Amino acid sequence: MSDVLDILSVDRPSTPEVTKESILGTDGKKKRKRLLDVSSFKRPEGMHRELYALLYADHRDPPPLMSTDTGQGYKQVKAKLGLKKVRPWKWMPFTNPARKDAIFLCHWRRVADESKDYPFARFNKVTIQIPTYTDTEYQQLLSDTWSRADTDYLMEMCKQYDQRFVIIHDRWDKTAHGDRSIEDMKERYYSICNALARARGGPDVAVRAYDADHERRRKDQLNKLYHRTQEQVEEEQTLLSELRKIEQRKREREKKTQDLQKLITAADSSSTESRKTEKKGGPKKRFPIHKNARTEGTPLESTGIKFPDVKSCGVSLRSHRMKLPTTVGQRKTKTIEQLLQELGIDLNPMPTEEMSLHFNELRSDMVLLYELKLALATCEFELQTLRHQYEALAPPGKVILSNWSLLLSLSEDTPGPAQEILVVKLSFYDFRDHKVDCDFINSCVLF
Amino acid sequence: MTDEVGALVFDMGHYSIRAGYAGEDSPKIPRCCVCQAEIPSTYGVTEEVTNGGVGEPMDMDGGPAPQKKYFFDTNSLHVAKRGMEAVTFLKDGMIEDWDAFEKSLDYLYEKHIRSDPHLHPVLMSEVSWNTRAKREKLTELMFEKYNIPAFYLVKNAVLAAFANGRSTGLILDSGASQTSAVPVHDGYVLTQAIVQPHQRVQITKWGSGRFWCMGAAVVKIPLAGDFLTHQCKLVLEENNIELVPPYLIAAKDAVKDLEAPRWTRKSGLPEVTKSWHSYMVKEMLQDFQSTVLQVSDSPYDKESVENMPTVHYELPNGYNQDFGVERFHIPEGLFDPTTIKGASASTIGVAQVVTTSLGMCDIDVRPSLYGSVIVTGGNTLLQGFTDRLNRDLSAKTPPSMRLKIISSNANTERRYGAWIGGSILASLVQVYEVSPNLVLWMGKQGTFQQMWISKQEYDEGGKSQVDRKCP
Ligand SMILES: Nc1ncnc2c1ncn2[C@@H]1O[C@H](COP(=O)(O)OP(=O)(O)OP(=O)(O)O)[C@@H](O)[C@H]1O
Ligand SMILES: [Mg+2]
Repeated sequence: MSDVLDILSVDRPSTPEVTKESILGTDGKKKRKRLLDVSSFKRPEGMHRELYALLYADHRDPPPLMSTDTGQGYKQVKAKLGLKKVRPWKWMPFTNPARKDAIFLCHWRRVADESKDYPFARFNKVTIQIPTYTDTEYQQLLSDTWSRADTDYLMEMCKQYDQRFVIIHDRWDKTAHGDRSIEDMKERYYSICNALARARGGPDVAVRAYDADHERRRKDQLNKLYHRTQEQVEEEQTLLSELRKIEQRKREREKKTQDLQKLITAADSSSTESRKTEKKGGPKKRFPIHKNARTEGTPLESTGIKFPDVKSCGVSLRSHRMKLPTTVGQRKTKTIEQLLQELGIDLNPMPTEEMSLHFNELRSDMVLLYELKLALATCEFELQTLRHQYEALAPPGKVILSNWSLLLSLSEDTPGPAQEILVVKLSFYDFRDHKVDCDFINSCVLF
Repeated sequence: MTDEVGALVFDMGHYSIRAGYAGEDSPKIPRCCVCQAEIPSTYGVTEEVTNGGVGEPMDMDGGPAPQKKYFFDTNSLHVAKRGMEAVTFLKDGMIEDWDAFEKSLDYLYEKHIRSDPHLHPVLMSEVSWNTRAKREKLTELMFEKYNIPAFYLVKNAVLAAFANGRSTGLILDSGASQTSAVPVHDGYVLTQAIVQPHQRVQITKWGSGRFWCMGAAVVKIPLAGDFLTHQCKLVLEENNIELVPPYLIAAKDAVKDLEAPRWTRKSGLPEVTKSWHSYMVKEMLQDFQSTVLQVSDSPYDKESVENMPTVHYELPNGYNQDFGVERFHIPEGLFDPTTIKGASASTIGVAQVVTTSLGMCDIDVRPSLYGSVIVTGGNTLLQGFTDRLNRDLSAKTPPSMRLKIISSNANTERRYGAWIGGSILASLVQVYEVSPNLVLWMGKQGTFQQMWISKQEYDEGGKSQVDRKCP
C-alpha cells in the first residue's frame, strides 16, 4: 500500500507503522495518554489512593448502570408530539351507497371526515348483468324444450347466485322444476345469452361458446377416473410398469443390434477390401436380410480405433499419430499390448510413415477382432440361454418352423426386435462361415 | 381492511355458547371483568310454585304460576340446588327450547355484553341442516324482541372455512354432539336443498344417536366429544373406578397409585336431580378425556399400543393411576366404529364421513374440496386426531385427487373456528390480511354491509328475508 502511495507521490498519512505493540495491544501511546490524563488531575495531597481510584478510574470501569443526563444520543425525541390539534373520533352512523335502506350501521370516524363519502364503498359489489327478455323475444328466439317457467326460474337463480352454477344446481327446486344437470342449465343459460346477443346485435356481440356435449363427456370421463377401484388402479400401474420394461428391453435390443451390425459391417469391409484375394464365401447364406440391414441407411462407422487426424494441427511428431486416442478404454489398451507381445511386435516401433500407418491399421484390426470375439461370446451365451428356454418351453421334436422362406418373409415384413436379433445373428454366423443349425433357427423363431 | 360497526357474533354449540364483538380474535368482551364470553350451553332450571310473592308473575286466573328459574354460566350452574335440572335448549344443533334460548340471550346481553341490544348488529351461526321455520323464528325474535339494527345468519361451516382463510373446502367439524362433514363452495354450503327431518335417510342406529345423510352432501355421525365422554364413563366404571364429581367432596387424602381413595363426603347437600349430577360427572370426565385420551396413528392394535407411554391421572376424589391401553382404545371408535360395543356394522368413522360427503359432490368441485379439508371443533383437539385423519383419508383418496388437510395449530382457533369466522366476516370490508381467496370471495360478494338484513328490510319484507338474504 505504501509503495503505491509512494509511486503516486501521495503524502503518507501519519498512520503508525504496524509494530509489535500495536498488535499485542500494549500500545505505548495509550499508556502515555493515560499517564497524561492522570497527570492533569493529580491526586490531592492526603487523599487515599483507594478513594482517588474510585473517583478517577473511568478508563477501567465498566460503563455506569445509571444513565447520565447528557441530553444527547438515542434519547432525543424525533417526532414532535402534541403540536397538532387533537382530531377527535366519533361513533357515527353512515350509509353505504350500495344499500337503499335507511341508516342502520355506525362506526368510528374522525369528526372532520363526517360529511365525506363512505371510503369502503369502492369495494361494493358490481352486479353481474343477467340478460332479460320480453315475451315476444322469448317466443321468437328462445323457445326450447325448457318451459317458460323453468327458464325464468333459471334466470332468477343465476341472478341470485351470481352464475355460480354449482350452487344453482344445489339449490334448484327439483320438485317444481325437474331434475336438471349443471350442463343442462349452463347450456340453456348460454344459449339464451347468445341468442339475445345475436338478435340484438350491437357493436360487442360477445358470443360465449359452451359445448355441453363435450362437457358431459368430460365429466363422464372424470367420473370414471374417480370411480376406479383399487384393483383397477393397481392393474393400470402394473401394466404401465410392464410397458416401460418392455420398451426399455426393446431399446436395449435395438442398441445391441446396432452395435452388432456395426461390427459386422466393419468386419465385412475389412475382409472384402483388404483381403480381396481371399475366396469369397459361397452364395449359400448371403441373405437378403443382410442387405436389408445395410440399406437401412444408418451410416455405419467402422469400429476399431479411430485415430485422430493430426495433419491439420501444424507441426507435429509423427510418433504422435501412433498414440492411442483417449477414447480407447483401459481394457482394450491392455488387450492390444498383450496381442502385440504375443505377436512379438515392438510396442513403440520406429514411426516411419509406412510403419505408423500399418501399425495403426494393425491395432485397429486388433480392437475389431477383440470386439467381434466379445460379441460372439455374448451371442453364444444368448444362444445357450435361448436354447435352454426353448427346451424348457417345448420339448424337442415338436418343432414347428424350419422353413427358411417363412423366416425370411417374417423378418422382411415385420422387423420386430426378435427378428432383428435373429437377422444379426444369422448374418454373424454367416460371416464366420458357420453352418447354421436348424435348432438354432427354430429357437430364434419361437423367441 | 376492516371497518368496525360494533357487531356482535354468537356461536351456539352443544358444549358452549360463544359470544363477543366482531373484530376480536376470540370470543371475549373487552372492558368486561368476565373476559371470556363463553358460557356452557347447559344451564340449570328449577320449577317452583311460588305463593304469589311480590313481583312474581301470575297466571291468568290468578293462581300461583309454576315459574321457571334459569341458572346460566359455570358459577351458578355448579352450585347444587334442590330439584335443579341440567338441560340445554339445543337439539341436534338447532334451537329447540325458545324460552330458554331467549333467557340465555338476556343473560349474555345483561351480564357479559352489558350493552343495549339495539345498538349492535348481530351475526349468528347456525348448523347447516337448520330448518327454514327455525331460521325465520330466530330472525323474528332478534328483530322483534331485541330490536337489533341488523341481522345475519351464516352456516357455521362457512364461518369455519373463513376462519381458515378459505371460501371453498370440506369442513370436518367434530364438536360435542356430532361430527359432520359439510362441503362449502364459494361461501355457500352444498346442501342439495336442506331436507326436513322426515326426509332424512336414516342409515344406521347407534344407541340413541343416528347417522344420516342430510340431503346430498352434508354427512354427520353422533360420534364426537359427548360420545367419547360416555365411553370414558363406561370404561372407568368397568374398571370399578368410582366417579365422584367435585361437588360431593369435602376433603380428600393423598393416596398411592391404584389405592382406594380416601375422601369425605360433603354434608348438607340438597337433593340434586339425576340430570344435574350426570352433568357434573360429564364435566369431570371431559377433563379426563382431554388430558388422557390419544388417537393412535394407525388402526388400534393392542400390542403396539401397550408400548406407548402411559398418562397418570388423578380423579377429584384422589384416586389415581396410570392409563395406558384405554388412552387409545376409547377414541378408536371415532375412526373405527367396529371397535364400539354394540355398534352396528354399517356405522361409519370420521374419515368415511369425509369421503361419503365428498363422493356426493359434483365431480368438478371435488378436487378443490379434497385440496382443503378443514378440521375444526373442540373434539379435534384430541391428541393425534389430525394425524390419524390424514392417514385414513390418504388411504381413501383416489389417485387422481390431491389431499390437503388444513388445521390450525392454535387450540383456540380450532375450538372457536366458527366464531372467529363470524368475527372476521362481520367486521370485514376487505380481507387482505386473511387470505387472497377471501378477497376474491368478497370481491364477488361486495362488502359485507351489503349483506346484512337491516331492520328496515325486515319491517318491509318480514321474516322470510332470511331465506332470501342468508344463503
Ligand atoms: N383440549 C381438548 N382435547 C380434547 N377434547 C376437547 C378439548 N377441548 C374441548 N374438547 C371437547 O370438545 C367438545 C366441544 O367442542 P366444541 O366446542 O367444538 O363443541 P360445540 O360446537 O359446542 O358442540 P356441537 O358442535 O356439537 O354443537 C367437548 O366434547 C370437549 O370435551
Ligand atoms: Mg360446533
